[in-house]
Amino acid sequence: MTAARCGKPIEFEALVAYWVGELPMAAEARIEEHLFGCAHCTRRVEELAALAFGIRAVVRRGAVQAVITPTFLETMKRQGMRIREYRLAPGERVACTIRADDDAVVGRLQAPLAGVKRVDALHSLDFGDGQVQQWRAEDLPFDASTGEVLSLPSAEALKRSPAHTFCVRLLAVDESGERPLGEYTFAHTPG
Amino acid sequence: MQQVLLMTLERLRAGKLREPERIVSFVLGMCRMVVLEIRRGGWRREKLLATWGDTAEAVEGPEPAVLDTDKLGACLEALAERERTVVVLTFFADKSGDEVATELGLTAGNVRVIRHRALARLRACMDREAR
Repeated sequence: MTAARCGKPIEFEALVAYWVGELPMAAEARIEEHLFGCAHCTRRVEELAALAFGIRAVVRRGAVQAVITPTFLETMKRQGMRIREYRLAPGERVACTIRADDDAVVGRLQAPLAGVKRVDALHSLDFGDGQVQQWRAEDLPFDASTGEVLSLPSAEALKRSPAHTFCVRLLAVDESGERPLGEYTFAHTPG
Repeated sequence: MQQVLLMTLERLRAGKLREPERIVSFVLGMCRMVVLEIRRGGWRREKLLATWGDTAEAVEGPEPAVLDTDKLGACLEALAERERTVVVLTFFADKSGDEVATELGLTAGNVRVIRHRALARLRACMDREAR
């Protein structure tokens, strides 16, 4: 593999499809044959591999917050991550914590999602010092059939955090406006 | 690559390669197995070990370089909610576009568009952070 440049580089999107195993065997074989003789494209696969391994490391470290799915949660458990789960019905308040040996906390927010097109979330964070931080997250991903939105906060940030009250208000949004789906309150104390 | 070459040599030494003229196909097949093992996060490892025993274990190579996870975490946070979910489902949970689409109630085409846009933003963010 001596070529520094490639006359016909593989599209990055095709390399991603190759990486996640979406391609038929014949297309995979064509890409692999190309990679065998092309240092340029091999380097790009290595960059993709570094990104993939980096994302796994960030999730395992609890350094990112995200809306996740039930199968994602199962993957975390299968990989040996210690998860603390809180399931809340609309209007419910829960006392919660995270301990040093927990890898993640997941909030399972039950909501009537049937027929909902878009979900936004209004967050408020109150440390009891008179200053409440508020922000809105738009267009959360969800599967209406599960009847819940799964929220994975950053475990790293939670472990550093003093006692606080975190409130999430889910909203259904469509052309006619928005309506509340539920409000969920987490009263956090350090573990 | 080291793992693939050692597996190939092992087979050649053991006289197990029935069609030596097809060695290139064999090597490519081995490459595919190793790549699959890496990208699937090791779920094929047990099968590989069952086939290759001590050989595979002894030559297990280093994983690809891991990026600065502080920077990567910040760049992931900068994505839109939907983009971040698609990216972590793809690379942490090893989901194809079709699988992500099923889980999020989207079309596979829509998921690939979101994934493409998210990765472009993520790479641009990492490049900026690296400067």
